[in-house]
Amino acid sequence: MNMPMEKSSSITTTISQAINFACDTIAPTWPLDRMIAVSPYWQRIDKSFADISTELATIAGSPMTMDLPYYKDLWQKGNIKPQHLQQAITEAQSPATAEQAIVALQQTDVSPAPAPLLCDALDNQRNLQQLPAWCDTITHQIAQFCAAYFDRDQADWQPDHQQALYASWRKALARDHSVAVLIKSSDIPNKALQLEADPELQIAKALQQLAVPPEHWPSYLQAVIMRVSGWASWCAYRSFQANLNTNEDTSLVDLLAIRLSWECLIDDNRRQHDSVWAAWQNDWLDHFKHAKNHTQNIHLLWQRAHEVSYQNQLFQQLTSATKHKTVEPKIQAVFCIDVRSEVFRRNLEAQSNEIQTLGFAGFFGLPISYTPLATQATRPQLPGLLAPVINITDAGNNPEIEHDIKRRRQSKLGNLLSLQAFKTTPASTFTLVETLGLGYAGKLIKRSLTSTAPDTSSDSLGLSKADASNLRPSLDKSLAGDLTAKASIASQVLTGMNLTEGLAPVVLLVGHGSQSQNNPQRAGLDCGACCGQSGEVNARALAGLLNDEEVRKKLAENAIVIPAGTQFLSALHNTTTDDVSLFDTEKMQQTHQHELTNVVKYLAKAGQATRQERAHNLGLQALADKPEKLTKAIKQRANDWAQTRPEWGLANNAAFIVAPRHKTRNIDLQGRSFLHEYEPTKDLTGDVLEQIMTAPMLVTHWINMQYHGSTVDNKRYGSGNKTLHNVTGGRLGVFEGNGGDLRIGLAWQSVNDGNKWQHEPLRLTVVIDAPEDIINQVIAKHPMIKNLLDNQWLYLARFNADKIALYHENKWRNWANQE
Amino acid sequence: MSLLFNAGLLPVIYCLGFLLAFSLNQKMWQIAKGTAALGLAATVIALGSAPLAPATVNIDTLGLTMALLIAFLGWVIINYSFRYIQGEPGQPRFVKAMLFVLACVSLLVLSRNLAVIIIAWSGSSIGLHYLLTFYQERKTAQIVAHKKFIISRLADACLIVALFLVHSSVGDFNLDAITTYVSGIETLPVTLNIAALLIASAAIIKSAQLPLHGWLIQVMEAPTPVSALLHAGVVNIGGFVLIRLAELLSLAPAAQTLLVVVGSVTAVLAGLVMMTRISIKVRLAWSTCAQMGFMLMEVGLGLYELALLHLVAHSLYKAHAFLSAGDAVANTKAHDFFTPTEKPNSAVWYVISPLLSTATLLATIALWQQVMPSLNLPLAAIVIVALGFAPLLWMEQGASTKALIQGLIKVLALSQLYLAWHLLFAGLTPPIANTSLALLVWVLASFGVLYVAQIWVRHAPTGRFAQALYPWAYSGFYLDETFTRLTLKFWPVQLSPTQAQTSVNRHTTKVGEKV
Repeated sequence: MNMPMEKSSSITTTISQAINFACDTIAPTWPLDRMIAVSPYWQRIDKSFADISTELATIAGSPMTMDLPYYKDLWQKGNIKPQHLQQAITEAQSPATAEQAIVALQQTDVSPAPAPLLCDALDNQRNLQQLPAWCDTITHQIAQFCAAYFDRDQADWQPDHQQALYASWRKALARDHSVAVLIKSSDIPNKALQLEADPELQIAKALQQLAVPPEHWPSYLQAVIMRVSGWASWCAYRSFQANLNTNEDTSLVDLLAIRLSWECLIDDNRRQHDSVWAAWQNDWLDHFKHAKNHTQNIHLLWQRAHEVSYQNQLFQQLTSATKHKTVEPKIQAVFCIDVRSEVFRRNLEAQSNEIQTLGFAGFFGLPISYTPLATQATRPQLPGLLAPVINITDAGNNPEIEHDIKRRRQSKLGNLLSLQAFKTTPASTFTLVETLGLGYAGKLIKRSLTSTAPDTSSDSLGLSKADASNLRPSLDKSLAGDLTAKASIASQVLTGMNLTEGLAPVVLLVGHGSQSQNNPQRAGLDCGACCGQSGEVNARALAGLLNDEEVRKKLAENAIVIPAGTQFLSALHNTTTDDVSLFDTEKMQQTHQHELTNVVKYLAKAGQATRQERAHNLGLQALADKPEKLTKAIKQRANDWAQTRPEWGLANNAAFIVAPRHKTRNIDLQGRSFLHEYEPTKDLTGDVLEQIMTAPMLVTHWINMQYHGSTVDNKRYGSGNKTLHNVTGGRLGVFEGNGGDLRIGLAWQSVNDGNKWQHEPLRLTVVIDAPEDIINQVIAKHPMIKNLLDNQWLYLARFNADKIALYHENKWRNWANQE
Repeated sequence: MSLLFNAGLLPVIYCLGFLLAFSLNQKMWQIAKGTAALGLAATVIALGSAPLAPATVNIDTLGLTMALLIAFLGWVIINYSFRYIQGEPGQPRFVKAMLFVLACVSLLVLSRNLAVIIIAWSGSSIGLHYLLTFYQERKTAQIVAHKKFIISRLADACLIVALFLVHSSVGDFNLDAITTYVSGIETLPVTLNIAALLIASAAIIKSAQLPLHGWLIQVMEAPTPVSALLHAGVVNIGGFVLIRLAELLSLAPAAQTLLVVVGSVTAVLAGLVMMTRISIKVRLAWSTCAQMGFMLMEVGLGLYELALLHLVAHSLYKAHAFLSAGDAVANTKAHDFFTPTEKPNSAVWYVISPLLSTATLLATIALWQQVMPSLNLPLAAIVIVALGFAPLLWMEQGASTKALIQGLIKVLALSQLYLAWHLLFAGLTPPIANTSLALLVWVLASFGVLYVAQIWVRHAPTGRFAQALYPWAYSGFYLDETFTRLTLKFWPVQLSPTQAQTSVNRHTTKVGEKV
């Protein structure tokens, strides 16, 4: 009866296409210790925002805009004005009138429902007020299994990882009676044995068994995979990483086969008109018929109107700014493009006209991974889209010191490791409690008391303070002797930063990192351009490289002259406390003592002003006029193990400005703008712009869409409530509570303060200072960028003399101010 | 007078805080924090002045110790919660329920009346119910709370019958009266034997022992501080009540046997399951389950001071572990820094190490006995502790003289700590009771099996033994699924239509929104 199917004959191209179609809609998610922002919609940018909004609502029940009461509030407060709404209607050529859109605000908003599966039809016939639901039980079974399968860090006893995901699951289910016991279905293990051994064959068999017509395959398989979209994103990450290393990973198809198999396992094979199957067929057809009448058009109009209101204000600011008078800078400071830098830069510049700041991706263009000395803990320090080229490590002041430090650290780490078995083996945990348990009273007291301590770098594990201060991350060993390679990196970086001439005596390279305790999603607040790490490693390595006399000589041969009086100084901006710490200042203390004193003074004042600016959103407005108390409160917050909102991260980001700083220097961009330095007059070929539009612009778009998804659909693309977060597999992700699907994206606490949303979900507005034809040339060359623009995943504008021109449907037209 | 020296104010303070929180909703957190600080201060003062108490005042050191633990945890958890759940709509409910639970637990540990103890125990469970369902819309939270509710009422029934039986024999609910009565007889009458058995059963049920442990494992559906309170301050009450009734229990062999068997089986099985858990909080919950089993086993063996040490130390350890569960990722990252070498053939060290640790521990005891001839450690404790020390000498990083010495130093240091705590707690509880040889053999065999199983799994993770046992450990031996299904059959939960919605089809609620 259960003849194995022939793979080649039964997997038709149509099935393969449907499988690929469903799997290709899933964007990857990074592990928690490298939690960089990803647009959950990334794999869907070849269709318009509006179309995907309808598709996701229909297939997965996922909204892509806020609910109508949110817009109603903005409308009533006058944030969205009639002219904004009108522009949205005109742009969309919408059949709806403004009156209709306003009337719609009064109606109750029905949130979309996902396309029904067989398990839903079965659940409809069960008394769910008393019994567990199939659809939740299935999610739980798959999620727990995936966690056990992918975990390498949490469990001390792990299942066999040799087989592929699907094969392993099939084998495990045949021996697992949990579901059978819980929902009285003792035949599940037996049925599992009859599933096809090959995942694609099983998918084909399932489609046949459930009699899904071929024209529904793409939607159906998509609806199926979206039921476990969290783990699907993890599988997509594995495949993304495999691709970076030119390998292949098929766990996403496996996962689809697993979820689909469950639909077969609960199928009773009855096909009469009163069967569950027949009920499901009806529900499915009804759902799609119904969905046609429930487009997201009104929501989209309001979403756009909200964006118009922001753009209007932004463009007005950009066109009416007073031009900054250029003075020869004494201090230059390069910051990450991160929106949090905008606030700090503005406040730093306010300290003196002699300070010039620049924005550049926080990894400073170094294509590196980093391995702390004497460990094997290699980690990428560059954007997630790229694969590292050079692996760097720490260097000591001289080889003997370094050797000693290495030896001491290895011994200390080995000693710590031998305690691990004692701490985790079951028979030892009883002894652990009876010997060390009472000591935890001390830890409880220590962590309950407030502290204003600075952040301790996690990279200093196993190093004494003295040893740590004798080490610095450096490119020297990795590129030993290869002066040409060093100079070439230096030259690329300086060109990219637009720092090939006019260098000030002090050039600060400011990386950034966050400070929070007990926070599984801390990496999400760190530098995304450094793959969710602090930017310290890159800043220090680069400063070392650019201060190297040999490198400078070589650079001079290529016509990049770094004046002898110029010193590069690495620094780290703590985005939680807005303190900036300086590294490796020994040499400068001798040569640039006066400048160094000034730098320290300016940074301290700028930090103070920045904290005052941020006080309101942190609920500390009462302390805004009491600088010392405010500083203390913010530092305590950074050390507070019970704080779920240590800082607001990149919340409320809305724009990306690619222009020379003098165009924006006198504007308060409210910490909502990414800023990238760009001088069009030095980029006549457009090469630099092409690089910016294909890399940093994508990163900002990913961040923007991560915040968007986490806000408009926190249930699917956000990770829910932090108070319930339960770290899974040590770093894979979090569960919300006991189980359920793996949760991706940002927690509710990261975008909402309990009273209101701290992130306004607006699609990114990119404003570039470049001639029309140069931009057009880049768009024409990169279909991906064209997709992003034509499908309205982001907006592109350019400085056009004293106006702003917006790109819309392949044309540029000047923005008409509607105020 | 006696009330003051014995921290009798603690339940009064919590009670006042609870009532005040009702009338002043706006200031509930100030009230909660003030109550917690005041409670801690009152207890510390009571403890500090206890040595000054006049001879007429009986100092209840056991009760005082527990009161200090409760007051301390209350202070830590309330201060933590204040920041942690800011922005959540259910805060008033949370504050009231938290203060109510603390009032009940503190009354329970300080009361000298068995009836009051049992009522307060039940009260704490009801207060906890409101904390477990903090997120009312969460279906799993409702089902878990329901399971816990059923189990607690089952335990209450046991306790009420036991109370009746005690009163019929002793004629009083007062603990001192019971102690006096019991000290005058050699063997217990049947009624008291049954009473002891029922109280032991209630303790087992409420300490989440197998197979009724499921609710404890699944309470991750409530905010982290609730887990901390439950695992550190409530689930161990059973152990405390049994220590309170030590004199009675020491004469009740049936109850002792039950405690040893259930406790040790739970400690071993839950310990194995814990090794397979893939999320931090669930791992911690299984750990609690095992630790509670171990503590009840110690009570059953008559090792009251060790049981009390275990109870207090575990509370502190587990409160910290839950409250800092968010550090899991940082810990994993730190773990990357360790570079395990290729495993050398250390199988022989798995066998030698427990012998070495036993020798070290025995030598330490012998040394201490030079100063304190009365110091005496029961065999079961020595063996279990020595097995626990063994991993320090496994030298999985490669055997070397240096590693061996480092390991021995650790064993030696921990042995001193162990003896020091042992002595400190010995003064707080009734003396060690005798136990039967059969129980001793059972316990030694159980922990021998656990030790062998864990090294087998560790040494040959892909071997046949590990692979065959894994599905059972992974599924928690199907015990909770069976219990849940029976619950659903005989005493089903009644969910509201909103709560009943499946997670994908949930429309009406957003994060933090009310049902």
